[in-house]
Amino acid sequence: MIFELGAVLDTISFPLSGMISLTVVTEDGGIIETSTVGREGAVGLHGVLGHRLSFTRATTQISGVFSTIPTSRFRSLIDGNVSVLKLITDHTELLLAEAQQVAACNAVHDASSRLCRWLLQAADRIGSDVLSLTQEFLAQMLGVRRTTLTLLAQDLQRKGLIQYSRGQITILDRKGLEENACECHHILRYKTLLSMIGLSA
Amino acid sequence: MPMYYFHLHDNEKIDDVDGTILVDEAAARDHAAGVARELTFKNSGMLGKDWSDWKMSVHNDQGTKLFTLAMEDFRNGNSK
Repeated sequence: MIFELGAVLDTISFPLSGMISLTVVTEDGGIIETSTVGREGAVGLHGVLGHRLSFTRATTQISGVFSTIPTSRFRSLIDGNVSVLKLITDHTELLLAEAQQVAACNAVHDASSRLCRWLLQAADRIGSDVLSLTQEFLAQMLGVRRTTLTLLAQDLQRKGLIQYSRGQITILDRKGLEENACECHHILRYKTLLSMIGLSA
Repeated sequence: MPMYYFHLHDNEKIDDVDGTILVDEAAARDHAAGVARELTFKNSGMLGKDWSDWKMSVHNDQGTKLFTLAMEDFRNGNSK
């Protein structure tokens, strides 16, 4: 657990490897993922702007190495530097765009396409086609029952797109997976998101 | 608490290799219906074939078949 819902953002985490999921927790116990952060991002960055609380529960989805720094230390180091503050707001805009796309995706795209999109997105975030993850968590992230995930993953495996085993999913056919994914996988690439909101990589 | 398995088949099979622990058969029926709804939401079928011939059969951990659902019954007409 990086941040629980409502926790003070007192640390900034920079993933060097692995992936963090930002999730909304619903009253009936749903834990739905809205954004993911990998090596091109950071968690808790906007805490630099002032006293901030975490709106989401941030948890490690794929284990990795994270670099962390206390927010207060980072704040004094940058000493109001405008370029760094701009980077922070750019990153926050990026997360907003991602959350908006994922909200639409979760509402109207089918679970198989969303699974393909998630796998491609995770592979991009961690820079590897081998995803070490807990299938229980992944089902929750996508808002489906574990059984549904198992059956969808078997379907993708039978089509030769992935290899599915306990604790691990390996992408075998990236192009095939892209064809089965919704368009969101392409939009959620950092480069695409940045250009769509008018920022350059 | 017992383990239940939710397999899909038409002339091919997609097996629930993981199983789920549920309280009783009534809970398994609820779970099966929930899975069927999640699978058929905006989704046209499995293994490239539409839902018309797909069935979900639910088994206990002795391998006994308890009941079957027709996936076609859950299709909401919004498939792609």
